[in-house]
Amino acid sequence: MHDEPDSELELTTALVPLFVIAKGRALPADHEYEHTTLVTAQEGTEAASRTLTPEARAVMDLIADGFLSVAEISGYTRLPLGIVRILLAQMAEDGLLYVRNPAPRAERVDRELLTAVLDGLKTRFGA
Amino acid sequence: MSQDALIWCLVAIAVIAIAAVVALTLRNSALGAKKREAEAALAQRLRYTEGELGRMQAELQRVRDEQDGVIGEAEQAAEESTKAVLKGAARFLQSLAAEQTALLDEVQRKYGGHSVLSDLMDVNHANAQMARKAQGIAVMCGAPLGRRNQPASVYDVVRSAQSQIRNFHRVEIMQPSGIALKASAVAPVALAVAELLDNAASFSQAEAPIEVTFQRVQKNLCIIIDDAGVSMSDEDRQAATALLSGDEVPRLSQLGTQPKFGFPVVGLIARQYGFKVDVTGVSRYGGVRAVVLLPEELWTMEETPPPASEVPVSSIRRVEGREQAGARTMHGLPKRGARKSPIASVPSDGSASGGQAAGPRRAGGGLGAFQRGTLTGRDLDAPTPEGSEGA
Repeated sequence: MHDEPDSELELTTALVPLFVIAKGRALPADHEYEHTTLVTAQEGTEAASRTLTPEARAVMDLIADGFLSVAEISGYTRLPLGIVRILLAQMAEDGLLYVRNPAPRAERVDRELLTAVLDGLKTRFGA
Repeated sequence: MSQDALIWCLVAIAVIAIAAVVALTLRNSALGAKKREAEAALAQRLRYTEGELGRMQAELQRVRDEQDGVIGEAEQAAEESTKAVLKGAARFLQSLAAEQTALLDEVQRKYGGHSVLSDLMDVNHANAQMARKAQGIAVMCGAPLGRRNQPASVYDVVRSAQSQIRNFHRVEIMQPSGIALKASAVAPVALAVAELLDNAASFSQAEAPIEVTFQRVQKNLCIIIDDAGVSMSDEDRQAATALLSGDEVPRLSQLGTQPKFGFPVVGLIARQYGFKVDVTGVSRYGGVRAVVLLPEELWTMEETPPPASEVPVSSIRRVEGREQAGARTMHGLPKRGARKSPIASVPSDGSASGGQAAGPRRAGGGLGAFQRGTLTGRDLDAPTPEGSEGA
């Protein structure tokens, strides 16, 4: 029966779907791992990273030598941002990452402080 | 006188006795002959009847055979036409599922940063399970499997199989290094492993792990699936072995109302693509150990090239001097240079500028300074010249 000239269906989609890459984990809370959050690998995690999935290892390789933003990691690995965030949350849980959250929004800083900073800069460099 | 009379008497008696004996003998022989005659007649009759019976039996057998043949043919015809109908439907479902997978892929990438991604992944999971069923039915009906034209690492093939079962998070896969399946083996092995994983998941406790390991035995690669369920009885083992060899293909009508076509599907594709599957082993947890044995024609020890979609993105922000050899990760991705010297916002004493700006990062210096600035701004603990004064 197999010799029928049936045209085979060609599968071109990714072999490993994203939910498997994410291991079925939920997205981290919105304020965690934002676009501009910076992450880098902890020292001495090479051994642990050998057991990571290929995707997580790709992320580790990217951030091994310095801080990189979440958005950049997503760009380099070609993984959707959400997946990168899930991977990072998992890796942070495993103690593989340093995470540096972006500065809180500017409106929290009062104007006087900013003026003082500006004045300070002016005195230091002479604007 | 009396003596004579006695003698004559005796003679007379003897004569009578002889006559009687003769008469009896004659009668006896006559009876014997008659008996023989009757026996012969009976034997002949018996032979005739036996012959007749044999003929009748043969006739009956012939009629029966004919009937069986007709029934068989009818069943075969029914099977074929059922298969033809189902095959059409299954192929339709197959291509719809593939189309939906492609769509979902696209949508997931589009909304990758949105919280809707979680739900999209759930939809994709359901779709993957449906695609597996459609593939299974298609195989049972003799339709070809979907085909992949890229080789893939055996780890990814098993992950693809993992994605096709309900409780995929129970599957734990050991990572082998550098074993790739040839393109032609990717889809069939993924489906066979998916069916075996599904079987392992259904016949073990809800949260028990299912472990997948790999082993090279001579020229074969074994994918070993251990579950923590109950082991099979000898009868079940024999039935499973028969199904998995592909020798015994049950009719569609024998599959029952809750069709279990896992093993028949595995047997069919194993035979078609030239690998072997065995489920007679006992796992390390006391459950079933399923082994998929792939001959050397189906795999290689090569590293798989990264999928075509993972083109390095360096072109987006190429900076001169960045593209040195070794500035790539093992996956072919561009790597950031190491930032060795401490971050300083202001090159006050000139010490930092000497070592740092002269390196390959010189051209990106403007950008780097900007980034350093932001970094320092965010780092509250970093010592800054202005830290103590002002604010």
